[in-house]
Amino acid sequence: MNRLGKGTSDVKRSIAATACLMLAVTACGTTSQNSGKGPATPAKCEGPGGKYVIGMSQANVAEPYRQRMDDDIRSAAAKVPQFEVKFADAAQDNAKQVSDVENFLTQQINLLIISPNEATPLTAVVKKAYDKGIPVLVLDRKVDGDAYTSFIGADNRDIGRQAGKYVAEKLLPNGGKLVELKGLPGSTPAQERSEGFHETLGSKVQIVATGVGDWLREKGQQQLDAILKANAEVDVVYSHNDPMAEGAYLAAKAAGRESKIKFIGIDALPIPSGGVKAVEQGRISATFTYPTGGKEAIAAAKTLLVDCKQVEKKQTLPTQLITKENAERVYREANG
Amino acid sequence: MANDAPKLVRLTGIGKRYGGVLACQDVDFDIRAGEVHALLGENGAGKSTLMKILSGDITDYSGEIAIEGETVRFGGPVDAQRAGIAMIHQELDLVPGLSIAENLYLGREPRTRIGTVDGKQMRVWTADLLRRIGIDIDPRRPVGELRVGEQQLVTIARALSLDAKVLIMDEPTSALSTAEVEQLFGVIDELRREGAGIVYISHRMDEIGRVADRATVLRNGRIVEEFDARKMTAEQAAEAMVGRPVRTLFQASHGEAGEELLRVENLTVHPRRPRSGRKEPAGISLTVRRGEIVGLAGLLGAGRTELLETLYGAGSAGRWDGRVLVDGVDVRPRGPRAALAKGIAFVPEDRRVSGLVLEHSVLANTVLSIVDKLRTAGVVVSRRAEHEHAAESATRLRVKLSSLADPVGTLSGGNQQKVVFGRMLLTKPKLLLLDEPTRGVDINAKAEIYELLGEIAGQGIGVLLASSELAELIGVCDRVVVLRGGRNVRELRTSEIGEADLLAATMGETAGGGVR
Amino acid sequence: MSLQPDVRAKRKVDWRETLFSFQSFFGLIAVFVAAIVFSPRRNGEILFLTSDNLFNVVRAVSEIGIIAIGMTFVILVGGIDLSVGAVLGLSAVGSAVLLVHDDLGVVPAVLIVLAVGLVFGLLQGMASALFGIQAFIVTLAGLQIARGLARIWSDGQGVAIAYGDGPNEAPVTFSLLGERTFGGVVPIPALIFAGLAVLAILFLRTSAFSRHLYAVGGNEKAARLSGVPVNRVKIIVFGISGLLAALAGIVHAGQLNQGSPNDGAGYELDAIAAVVIGGTALTGGRGSVVGTVTGALLLGVLNNILALNNIDANVQLLIKGLVIVAAAALQRLRPTS
Repeated sequence: MNRLGKGTSDVKRSIAATACLMLAVTACGTTSQNSGKGPATPAKCEGPGGKYVIGMSQANVAEPYRQRMDDDIRSAAAKVPQFEVKFADAAQDNAKQVSDVENFLTQQINLLIISPNEATPLTAVVKKAYDKGIPVLVLDRKVDGDAYTSFIGADNRDIGRQAGKYVAEKLLPNGGKLVELKGLPGSTPAQERSEGFHETLGSKVQIVATGVGDWLREKGQQQLDAILKANAEVDVVYSHNDPMAEGAYLAAKAAGRESKIKFIGIDALPIPSGGVKAVEQGRISATFTYPTGGKEAIAAAKTLLVDCKQVEKKQTLPTQLITKENAERVYREANG
Repeated sequence: MANDAPKLVRLTGIGKRYGGVLACQDVDFDIRAGEVHALLGENGAGKSTLMKILSGDITDYSGEIAIEGETVRFGGPVDAQRAGIAMIHQELDLVPGLSIAENLYLGREPRTRIGTVDGKQMRVWTADLLRRIGIDIDPRRPVGELRVGEQQLVTIARALSLDAKVLIMDEPTSALSTAEVEQLFGVIDELRREGAGIVYISHRMDEIGRVADRATVLRNGRIVEEFDARKMTAEQAAEAMVGRPVRTLFQASHGEAGEELLRVENLTVHPRRPRSGRKEPAGISLTVRRGEIVGLAGLLGAGRTELLETLYGAGSAGRWDGRVLVDGVDVRPRGPRAALAKGIAFVPEDRRVSGLVLEHSVLANTVLSIVDKLRTAGVVVSRRAEHEHAAESATRLRVKLSSLADPVGTLSGGNQQKVVFGRMLLTKPKLLLLDEPTRGVDINAKAEIYELLGEIAGQGIGVLLASSELAELIGVCDRVVVLRGGRNVRELRTSEIGEADLLAATMGETAGGGVR
Repeated sequence: MSLQPDVRAKRKVDWRETLFSFQSFFGLIAVFVAAIVFSPRRNGEILFLTSDNLFNVVRAVSEIGIIAIGMTFVILVGGIDLSVGAVLGLSAVGSAVLLVHDDLGVVPAVLIVLAVGLVFGLLQGMASALFGIQAFIVTLAGLQIARGLARIWSDGQGVAIAYGDGPNEAPVTFSLLGERTFGGVVPIPALIFAGLAVLAILFLRTSAFSRHLYAVGGNEKAARLSGVPVNRVKIIVFGISGLLAALAGIVHAGQLNQGSPNDGAGYELDAIAAVVIGGTALTGGRGSVVGTVTGALLLGVLNNILALNNIDANVQLLIKGLVIVAAAALQRLRPTS
């Protein structure tokens, strides 16, 4: 149909229609909610007798670590009869995560758990929730400022330190040759896992090569493939995460050198494709847990809502060394 | 002669209703073996509907169809084809990307023993068919590369390949040159001798007298008269079609021509990227005076369209030799927009493809060329001015419509053509270039367009008119320039010649060399 | 039919056509009603209908809506612009870098970013119109180029926008884009979207340019032979699309206080969906901005009600896909002239 050859009234009509449309979509709202810009009011605590809806805004479920985080929250919350958890997945999109949180606010949740895709873009909406008096638990990645109730996460620098110590004291007490496989350059975890590691590694161990694997298994494999060709002697590969360590293992195996090299990873997800299984099955010598904080978040929520107590502003989760000795037990307990 | 021949097809009491409109009502029609039966009528008289019923395109109708005495009811075009009925559509339904051979045997390709398409066999058959209708083109050439006329011949070849008993031809010559028309008539004569029955739909009276045995006239969905086609006069037919006496088709003189408006001197175009099938101007010289209508005659591929496009700035990009002067000033429009600004207007050959935005309104189509001059403030177009111009144009050109807001595609061919004319006249041109302005237009609209051309010339506008219809060229034009191979070979004063002279001139030395 | 020409401007009303021309409108109403029915309630209050939520819906679609308006222009001439999401990312990065790293004021930064978007679009239009490359290919390349430029401009990092008067701080004015006005109720991006929609509707209804634009989309050859400057029209519509994508990018940066080179990934597809649901034909020559705005709002309401009901994210994608197919199928039923 053609738009021309119509009266001028038609122009007005269509503009009026659009205006109505926008109005209809906006102005016919029933009650306006208090947008509350005042100071944070403490959470209404109704104690064990209350019912609480928790909104969990996840940055990207497609990552196994974050899927595990959701699973941990789900199973922990199942043990608290007062809790009902709603999940949203932003699929790595900041704008979508903002909308997700807004929609949780519309649903009048009692507590927000958020694992932000990025800090700055989500700061405003987290503050909006916090200002409404909703307790906010931030997992894994922080937001800017301090408009949240508690941050729960592991300390990557500390994990790096422990890994360095483990290599220096257990694997290569008499020194040796080491390869470091780094995560995505510029990302904070990659930086911190590297810096902590170097703090405790000591001077006896010689770093013969550094590769950049971007957190990816196939990249880890490619990088180590090249490094092994250039270095006849390699004793330990320190990888910033488990998938890259697995990739490195494959490269070594292809070169027939897998038995002479020890592989160390980080993350130790207790899932079938995760680091714990890789240690149990002997591909990786050791890995360090990077806890999701899901269980701890539900515990904090319970403290706030059911026990009516305050929680620490910052809760740092300890890491755990996984070796052949404890891998099977840790896996069983994590999934028990 | 054919009256005793067996009836191949008999239609009895056919009726078809579209909503509240009766397209066909109580129509009895038959086709005998070895006969060419012409079907006449204005656009909208019900010819196409009737033929779509016969060819299986329309399946919900009342009445009865009998093939060789046996009642049938087609479920679709495939059924009709199996029963030996083939239709050559007015619209070209070919796949441009496929070769001629592939188009001819689309969906029924010959197979080799191992099941692959037997391309060689297909090409041999195709070459035979093409030879039979008298064209010599490589069967491997993609149809999209062919000229419209050649494409039309390919659709005819495809119908022949079906070995049909009954062949329906809807305006088969609309894109053909005179020589090709003769070639086609030869094929029709041959088919008739072989005992096929042919339904022939055309607006061209001269063709009907030449090729048909019987003629049936439809008006408003009913049969109004049946003629012996050989004895029928154009006036008789026109009167039967319109339902009242028609004024003479061609107007008397439109007054004296003024001073020279257009001068083309030895124009040659060297296209940057030569396209096959195009005959670029190769040394054309001609003049058009104010108030003069000059015809461009020539066979298909003589370069008529290419000359008009070149003058309008719509031809092939490339180098020019020679000069084009309008009012004594050198002109070389870079495009249609520049040409219009210099007072040169162009009505293209195929209005549906090149002339109109079919789904847009009559109003939008009419004012399209001047709409940016109807602005009131800044970018805003004055709706009133738009409407006034469109209404004035529709009134002046007697466009039949119920509203200016109607999509132009819903108008009849003649009225569509008038909209294109109207658009160009609104630009107030000095020179009007016309390419086949009455193709596919019914006789009444044709007369109106001829009258309009007289008016236009009377206002001092120069007209250059390319046409394949000899009667049109002789009836409308003051002079006719004959093109062949991209150059002008003859110039004739129409007051001194007949159609036979013009035909001979277009074919040049090869005339008489066995056209029939 | 009378032999006398009748040139009344009114035509007989074909109720089917009328119905179809408001198709997306009815679709929106249907989705809106469904949203009310399926909305979660708290203490008898329909949560979907709270003004906060409704404004959230408009805010959430405002960026897609803005680029969909530009996309409508391109699709009306029979083209497509796949680069808009990437141009949005480029502009978001540009805004952040200019405001934070280069310490420019809001006005020069915004003008530069808009100019970049405009020029980017015009260049794509030229490549398409002058060299005859299909818009799909040109803008597919444009998508890659804009992403690449965004990565280079930002060193591959998201650039956070901090506000203040100091060095490497953006003027506070810019943060208004993330704010709400009229007593903290109406989000600024929604206002920008609405204002732009009205402008675009007026422009398409009244301008000479739009007559040319519809003609080019309806029949390019006929338009050219009628003296319509076809190439100029094509170049300009891509310019408009680039300009609006840049504007959406500025809004994006203002809302999220960050410009990140991957911002806007996949937005082009949402914009195309909004245009298609709005009843604009991908073949060009037919459609309207009213339809597009309706289509964008429809998608927004749909997203919102699915989220409010905590429908699984994967199922949400499924439902959105089905709605797009349904809208396209309705187009096929439309009476053709």
